[in-house]
Amino acid sequence: MRKKYTHLILITLFSSNALFSQFFDNITSSFESYSAYYLDDSKTGDFMFEDRFRSNNYLNLKSNIGKYWNFELQIESYLPSSLLNYSPNFKETNISTFKAEYLKKNINFKIGNFYEQFGSGMTLRSWEDKDLGINNSILGLNLKYNLSDNINLTTLIGAQKKGFKYSDGFVVGFDSEFDFSKITKNNATFLMGLSYVGRNDQKTKSDFYDEMTNLISLRFDYSSSAFYSNFEYVNKSKNPIVVFGSLSDTFIKDGSAFLINSGFFNNGFGLDLTFRRLENMSLFSEREAFGNVYNESIINYLPALTKQHDYSLANLYVYSAQPNVSFQSNSLTKAGEIGTQIDLYYSIKKGGFFGGKYGTNLALNASIWNNLDGNYNFNNQSYETDLLSFGDKYFSEYSIEVRKKWTEKFENIFLYVNQYYNKKLIEETIGKVSSNIFILENTYKISDGKSLRLELQHLSTKDDTKNWSAIGLEYNISSAVSIYLTDTYNYQNPDDSKKIHYYNFGGSYIKGANRYAINYGRQRGGLVCTGGICRYVPESTGFSFSVTTSLF
Amino acid sequence: MNYKFIFLIILSFNICLSQDRLPIMNVKTLNGKTVNTKSTYNKKGLTVYSFWATWCVPCINELDDIHKEIDKWNEANVKIVAISTDDSRTKRRVRPMVSGKNWDFEILMDENQDLKRALNITGIPHTIVTKGSRIIYRRVGYKPGEENDLYEFILKSQ
Repeated sequence: MRKKYTHLILITLFSSNALFSQFFDNITSSFESYSAYYLDDSKTGDFMFEDRFRSNNYLNLKSNIGKYWNFELQIESYLPSSLLNYSPNFKETNISTFKAEYLKKNINFKIGNFYEQFGSGMTLRSWEDKDLGINNSILGLNLKYNLSDNINLTTLIGAQKKGFKYSDGFVVGFDSEFDFSKITKNNATFLMGLSYVGRNDQKTKSDFYDEMTNLISLRFDYSSSAFYSNFEYVNKSKNPIVVFGSLSDTFIKDGSAFLINSGFFNNGFGLDLTFRRLENMSLFSEREAFGNVYNESIINYLPALTKQHDYSLANLYVYSAQPNVSFQSNSLTKAGEIGTQIDLYYSIKKGGFFGGKYGTNLALNASIWNNLDGNYNFNNQSYETDLLSFGDKYFSEYSIEVRKKWTEKFENIFLYVNQYYNKKLIEETIGKVSSNIFILENTYKISDGKSLRLELQHLSTKDDTKNWSAIGLEYNISSAVSIYLTDTYNYQNPDDSKKIHYYNFGGSYIKGANRYAINYGRQRGGLVCTGGICRYVPESTGFSFSVTTSLF
Repeated sequence: MNYKFIFLIILSFNICLSQDRLPIMNVKTLNGKTVNTKSTYNKKGLTVYSFWATWCVPCINELDDIHKEIDKWNEANVKIVAISTDDSRTKRRVRPMVSGKNWDFEILMDENQDLKRALNITGIPHTIVTKGSRIIYRRVGYKPGEENDLYEFILKSQ
């Protein structure tokens, strides 16, 4: 009790001081609360975990003193425990992150928890994604210095966050970016970047490998008014491979990443081509975190480069990047991925048969990802990969999306997707799935703020659990209130007991930057992917409530 | 600890409605150049900041709907800035999409979501209107037709 009063007294004392009263006057905040009450379900089974009521709460406070000092504090509360699928390291109430920042002209210095990204994130990315339960901010020092308009330097050192705890060992990094645009012609931009990231893991000491693992990268980025091209190469130093859950003393390999990306664009047209090759590239702040289902302790960001869909059936068989070495059996050996993605956007102008009164938007996407080809020796635990040849296919997807406004009030989005998903290689189980997905979204605008949206989806496949259908109906009663009903149904599942309707209904109320939502329904389990990251989740049924507010 | 938590909640709901300026920080242009938020707003007039991403269907609907009547918005003397929160998974789609859709808004990249975080934005689409650097309007979400409410607000606030 005495401690609590001490806090109050301290805060009161501070607020009498002029600087601190400015501090309190300038506070801005956001508050997010996500709660669920889980129920037993006669179809999917009883709720098998502790605490039917679970709640994740995040309060973020920011303020400043004077012109140059900024402060941030985030308090998180998981009471009585965190929502299903969140790491058990998130428990009870605690200070999650705090930061003091000094920002003046060309200097930016942070002490505390900070978020940072070097280049495209292939060497380092620390970020927060509450939906995914990711907060891998680094606790330590982060200094940015703009040496001139053309040279930016960044350096950092610290321990990485893992729930409310921190990694043993540390992460150190240095990034430099040089802008050579002044020497290019025609207003083109030419940037070059060099970065280094080192990870020290003191938990897993061995005579066979170093405590430090080092990533070094070089990148170039060129942009003109109608063309861009960028290139990035990363080298990762030798690190032990995880074999059947433990670090090998003999199977020790280095890693690499190449990324080449180019695009052309003009009024009404845009094309983007990406090639990426990853070999043994993932890096965790603790080696033993490799493969953890909560995506904790990730140092570098290696997302799947495929189209990110917004529709449930297009997200049943989602590709997740395969940057790792995995030796499961003679017929299941992987060392990384190689592949390409192409995007094309095109607007058909107003008028004519295809353009109509409002014009038509087209979006085409193709992506193909394969294992690295090479000589794999499962018994000796070794491999040699070829640089540019494609191994067995993990995944491919071809899609076309047409957006068409027909009248002032009626609009369609049509999406067709052809997918190939090698479940055996990606999930390390069995099977392959070839599917065709058709989606039609209809929006009818009744009046300003009042509209009706109907989503129809079908997935056809002869593989795995066969055909699925889905329907979604949303009624926006006003710009503030909206209600919805969705159902996803695996109607051809060979196992009759698994022909389950995953239904959800609920509503939301929005006022300014505040949103309140309630949902009742049954969530699909299995591999669920959002934001380029996938995780296994149990099925669940119940009520959920959320409140999100951003205060000035 | 719980006590402190409740205290901070009360504090946040009562005192902290005063600061309402756009944070001063760096974001990137489509070409990867660093620019300060100070140079992104209409110094004396109004600016609409729309936080979006290539994978966010309602965000694209909002920008498409504004674009369809862009002449009307241009006449209202308001600057529109679309801030992409796409990370490296999807950011390569930004330039071709913007060009394919012919959007002529100013586009900025907030790749690791630093500006989004500094503005306490919890989800997208999220729209902010500033008068000079002062924030005078915020809205989360987008429903068809809401761009007209925003347009009315712009006219009223001139």
